[in-house]
Amino acid sequence: MTWLGRLLRRGRLERELDAELRDHLERHVADLVAGGMTEAEARRRAHLEFGGLDRAKEDCRDARGTRWLDDLVQDVRYGCRVLRKSPVFTAVAVASLALGIGANTAIFTLVDSLVLRALPVREPERLVRLQRGSWTNPIWEQIRQRQHEVLESAAAVSDTRFDLAAGGEAELVEGFWASGGFFEVMGVPAILGRTLTREDDVRDGGPDGPVAVVSYAFWQRRFGGAADVAGRSLALNGVPFTIVGVTAPGFFGPSVGRSFDVAVPIGMVDRVTGRESRLDGRSTWWLDIFGRLRPGQTLEEANRALRLMQPRIREATLPTGWRPRDLQGYLRDRPLTLAPAARGFSELRGDYERPLLAVMGVVVLVLLVACANLASLLLARASARRQELAARLALGASRRRLARQLLTESLLLAVPGALLGLLFARWGSALLVGQIAAREGLVSLDVSLHWRVLVFALGVTLATALLFGVAPALRAGAFSSHEAIQRQSRAVAGEGPGALGGPIVVAQVALSLVLVFGAGLFLRTFSRLAARDLGLDAKAILLVALDAQRSLAPPAERGALYERAREAAAAVPGVARAAVSFVSPVSGMGWNRRFTVEGEAPLGDREQLSWINAVTPGWFPTYGMRLVAGRDFDQRDRLGAPLVAVVNQAFARRFNRGRSPLGCVLRREGSPERRPPPLEIVGLVGDAVYRSPRDPMEPTVYVPLAQIGADETWSFATLGVRSATGSPALLARGVAAAVGEVDPRLSLTFRLFSEQVGAAVTGERIVALLSGFFGALALLLAGIGLFGVTSYSVSRRRAEIGVRMALGADAAGVVRLVLGRVAGLLALGIGIGTAIGLWAARFVGSLLYDLPARDPATLAGAAAVLVAVGLLAGGLPARRAARIDPAQVLREG
Amino acid sequence: MSPDKADLPQGTLDLLILKVVARAPLHGYAIAQTLQQASRNVVQVQQGSLYPALHRLENRGLLAADWKLSDTGRDAKFYRLTARGRAHLGAEEASWRRLTEAVGLILAEGDAP
Repeated sequence: MTWLGRLLRRGRLERELDAELRDHLERHVADLVAGGMTEAEARRRAHLEFGGLDRAKEDCRDARGTRWLDDLVQDVRYGCRVLRKSPVFTAVAVASLALGIGANTAIFTLVDSLVLRALPVREPERLVRLQRGSWTNPIWEQIRQRQHEVLESAAAVSDTRFDLAAGGEAELVEGFWASGGFFEVMGVPAILGRTLTREDDVRDGGPDGPVAVVSYAFWQRRFGGAADVAGRSLALNGVPFTIVGVTAPGFFGPSVGRSFDVAVPIGMVDRVTGRESRLDGRSTWWLDIFGRLRPGQTLEEANRALRLMQPRIREATLPTGWRPRDLQGYLRDRPLTLAPAARGFSELRGDYERPLLAVMGVVVLVLLVACANLASLLLARASARRQELAARLALGASRRRLARQLLTESLLLAVPGALLGLLFARWGSALLVGQIAAREGLVSLDVSLHWRVLVFALGVTLATALLFGVAPALRAGAFSSHEAIQRQSRAVAGEGPGALGGPIVVAQVALSLVLVFGAGLFLRTFSRLAARDLGLDAKAILLVALDAQRSLAPPAERGALYERAREAAAAVPGVARAAVSFVSPVSGMGWNRRFTVEGEAPLGDREQLSWINAVTPGWFPTYGMRLVAGRDFDQRDRLGAPLVAVVNQAFARRFNRGRSPLGCVLRREGSPERRPPPLEIVGLVGDAVYRSPRDPMEPTVYVPLAQIGADETWSFATLGVRSATGSPALLARGVAAAVGEVDPRLSLTFRLFSEQVGAAVTGERIVALLSGFFGALALLLAGIGLFGVTSYSVSRRRAEIGVRMALGADAAGVVRLVLGRVAGLLALGIGIGTAIGLWAARFVGSLLYDLPARDPATLAGAAAVLVAVGLLAGGLPARRAARIDPAQVLREG
Repeated sequence: MSPDKADLPQGTLDLLILKVVARAPLHGYAIAQTLQQASRNVVQVQQGSLYPALHRLENRGLLAADWKLSDTGRDAKFYRLTARGRAHLGAEEASWRRLTEAVGLILAEGDAP
């Protein structure tokens, strides 16, 4: 019979055991009676020779091997009863563990999927990437020609979005341009049809015409997993493509944090975007270049080979229209360098790696605080139960048996904590990805929970439970019951296991101070950013991204097209103002050039750089910007008329040394062959943030969109629409219809400007939110810890306090006595916490805005908050101590 | 306990039980009686400790038990040796013999002049 069978048939086994032992005794009695003994004497004798009947039964039950399970059931029942008796203790312990475990699991899962994990491709450790940003197609073509001299193979790729809609509101899907060898380099197979080949990657399509590969997810979503998808047609930005295959599930493309739907050969880029040729552009930096090392080849070998051919690559790809000085720079630029790329590349990683790591630090501290909390709770309980344990030891319970019971009780706290933590982690990581997505658009990260960190967090918790739940209780059992009862009545404060409570509370206070300090820094950073005067009025503006790539209007007429779209939007009921600009403000996008102002002292190379934007008349009032002097653009400022510009105050401060720039002549830097014509400054506007609320106010030059020539125009622009009623979201439908009438082939994407501005500080908001929440949690836990330790010490010192009061100490004196100890613990904890906080501050400096990492005011504030919480937590037991009735205590004593 | 009755060395109770049961299936009381009589009352088994040993051997699969009608007219639990038990007994007997021989040799050596 297996132990399980034995367990299930326990009732029958018990009856049989009974019968067997009774049979033995009956036989013995019968034998003895046959030998001439009286029945009563025989019975006595038989029992005597048998020994303890119950003891024998117990030993037989042990022999079954199911004893531990019986005990477990009993322990769990008993443990549940004990926990039910102190619901607050249970709730606090379970909730803090759940938050600690859950937060660690959630954050680490994100960190892992964004920062640590390798791409799901064949042998990712052999992948390399050409360092430092993006490259031009001519450079890629040079490398492609010579790739086998350097590597096993190389590939180029560039993220993009494709529009599936024929016009009007865009239906965007994620995608990338890929060189023919991309899938081979990655080692990603097709599960249906084929991937792209080198033959596909030629201008305007290979033998099969324009072809595309779709992802598994897109295949399922768009085509319902149809088996005949290969061969079907798919229009991307209005250009028909033939689908040739589906990639394996799990492959999300080359860039972590994004997913892809469609991949298209690089050779098709000019056909699809219709912009100035990206294939021939020698200063259009848009490709990421990857490679795969040969088996056994080291990175150094590949880099040596690459540097040998570097001069030829550079000379063959000299940009046109650059100043000679810059061309020299191009030839002498940093050596081409390959770096390991097993983890792929990610814009998200750059933006969120540091914030996520900061939050990771925060949640690790929270787990420590939660463990400290659990430890002090368990310690207090263990000492409260010393008498019970000692009595049970005296009655014959084995020490192992007691340890097992205490372990079970600790597990009863840890296991629900972990389960709740798991739920919390799932919810939390999805929430975080959602927050990040609010800024970045589609974010796709694998956030299936990371089991390793879950095991780690559970391990830490269990170790805590073991160490502090079981060990002190056993130590309590180490002395005799007699001694235990004696100690209990002696009740000397600060002796026995209770003394350990002090250091734990000090640790809690210290960690909480670090957390509150950090939370203070992050919250102040965020509130400063949120409260910052951007120089723009973000309320009531709807942004409409216009994409004219598919419009039939030639580049020379794009300016007029945007202007017609603006007029149409302005005529929609409920629209107060409408204006178009090339660069969408506070979107993270930038356009800069070097400028000089005639007649002013020349500036350094770097200082000559200024932001630039092309805007229509009425753009400044639409965005709530103030015209300080001069005039706004108007209908006179078009091609053929004198070229004009408006600058902001930061520009005037730097370029005109604070003098009025009105009437000055502005020159844009160019090459010797092509010198851009001079501009006259006709207006001065207030400063506004250009790219991000974190940036200082920087010099900006605005030029009339109508004066941009065909050679410089953009195929996309942003239409800003200010609502007259204050609810811009309602305008989308009307604006879409009006603009659609102007040109049905314009592709439109809507977004609230306030959302775009808010999204620019997403990282800061997440860090502030999480650190604030966890800081408050740590504070709460530290408060509970202090309260527990103080209450415990007051109850132990009842006799002493009673005697003091009987001898004349007044209530205030007793409160001082109790609070003195609290103050001591607080001071020590705050001291240690301050040291840790000042040390740890170095890691968060770059995440702060307008605030030193060791900001003394924030640190002082954090300390004050802890003192307040500490005095509150200590004050309650102190008041109870002051109300002790000495007469009663003395009677008890 | 009288001085001429010896305590069993650790672990030998199992060996003795197996040996006794090897001859014929027996119930617990009969096993206890046999052990006592066969050892001419030298081996004194605390009867209460016999049953945990029996149950342990049964759970290890060295003994099997059946409830059968016995001479008293009641059902009694009869233990018998399983094939595994027989093999185990053989091995244990051999090692016991080796051990006692070795101990005997050493004791004899000590007597030599």
